[in-house]
Amino acid sequence: MHVFYFREAWRSFKHHRGLGSTAIFSLTAALALCAVFVMLADNARVALQLVGDRREMVVYLNDDVTPAQRDALVGRLSQLYGVATYVSKDDAWKEFSEQIGDPALLDAVGGNPLPASLRLKLKPELLNYEAMERAAQQVSKFPEVEDVRYGGDWVRRLDQLKDGMVRGAIAVGALVALAVVFVLYNTIRLTVLARRPQVEIMSRLGATDRFIATPFVIEAMLEALVSGVLALALAFGCQQALAAQIGNVQFLPWTWAAVFLGAVVLLGWLAAMLALSRVLRSVGA
Amino acid sequence: MITFEQVTKRYGERLALDSVSWHMDEGECVVFLGHSGAGKTSLLRLITHESRPTSGSVVVGTFRSGRISRSQRALLRRTIGVVYEDFRLLSDRTVFENVALAVHIMGLFSNEDVVPRVTHALEEVGLAGKHTAYPSELSGGEKQRVAIARAIVNRPAVLIADEPTGALEKRSADEVMALLRAIHAEGAALLLVTTNPAAAQALGGRVLTLEDGRLVNGDTGMPRPGRATRAGGV
Repeated sequence: MHVFYFREAWRSFKHHRGLGSTAIFSLTAALALCAVFVMLADNARVALQLVGDRREMVVYLNDDVTPAQRDALVGRLSQLYGVATYVSKDDAWKEFSEQIGDPALLDAVGGNPLPASLRLKLKPELLNYEAMERAAQQVSKFPEVEDVRYGGDWVRRLDQLKDGMVRGAIAVGALVALAVVFVLYNTIRLTVLARRPQVEIMSRLGATDRFIATPFVIEAMLEALVSGVLALALAFGCQQALAAQIGNVQFLPWTWAAVFLGAVVLLGWLAAMLALSRVLRSVGA
Repeated sequence: MITFEQVTKRYGERLALDSVSWHMDEGECVVFLGHSGAGKTSLLRLITHESRPTSGSVVVGTFRSGRISRSQRALLRRTIGVVYEDFRLLSDRTVFENVALAVHIMGLFSNEDVVPRVTHALEEVGLAGKHTAYPSELSGGEKQRVAIARAIVNRPAVLIADEPTGALEKRSADEVMALLRAIHAEGAALLLVTTNPAAAQALGGRVLTLEDGRLVNGDTGMPRPGRATRAGGV
């Protein structure tokens, strides 16, 4: 019986090639745009992740901190917030000298005014603005600590950028999902109406709604699947072109591609069911 | 098997059937004779539940008119075979596929069972060599025989023929009538609707005459005082 349904779906597609092909082209265009957007968003996400992972906090120490107090603080901070690395006054000056480079300017400064510090590479769960802000306030309360810096504005902007990208991806996804449902809804409705005599005859022979609807549902799901595959192929072509032009651009992870195809087929099913639930009642006598 | 009790059917202001009562048993042959507009099509649409009576009740087997679900209506239609004047074949399918469709719709048979059932039905109507032909390649008589094969392939309890010879020349019409007689002789109940008195007589069943939506002549088969009921098959 399942073979029968697939044969019927293929027969329906063959007889309405124009309608089916138009649907596939329209869906492919919408889905390709979506796939490319998702791919670029994923690349941006990975890039932001890499940048974000480098976020660290600098804890400036009072000049009178003893080595024992310093080591105790390193242990405590490492335990609570992440990996703490000690940078002595001399190391800080050396680093500063290398960055400035001009001995005349360094002579103008006079002695070494830089404090010793701890560089704190935070745990992954603390790599967001709110957590960092909280951690900074807590760390600043240690008596050995003179000041804490972590580039709050920069961290906040980075987080806002990530949130914006997620919201954009959701908005584009929802828009494309609506477009997919709209195109397939109308395609299936027109296909059923074009095959009205067949549907009426089947209804008079005693066919159930499910029997009549199944081939149309299969047709919609297959059209969605073909469009999804074509869209991913176009996105892959786009990725290859971008990679050749600007270097390191990754294609979607295969799990994302599978989820993308699954979602598209699901939308095809939904659109067909919506269209058929309405149109069969008006067509079937 | 089929019972109409005081059935009235109105389409807006127009009265299509007026308090019609009749009954037919299993294996019986009933012919409805009437001119165009007499209410024959309305009567058939009520049997197949394409429409509901304005008043009265229609009983077909175990199905009673009223609030019947779409799935129950489909089930009812699978228990009867209908042959239409205009054949109602699917033009994009072969003779075999047209008949096989009814078997697939029945949903009771495996794919392996479809071929022998369809082949047998086509042999019964004399179209054994036309499996791969399309309706457009057939004569009117052949198309009607395909429609009959489709109607009988699932062995329905009753075969309904709506003016089956209306679009045929005499020789094909005679062949179709002979075929319907043969099917009835094998045990199927037969309900013929026609405007042609000769066709009604040729079939040899109980003839009921419809005029302007009323039954005006013939044995309705309904129980009467002092007469044994014929409604045992319902």
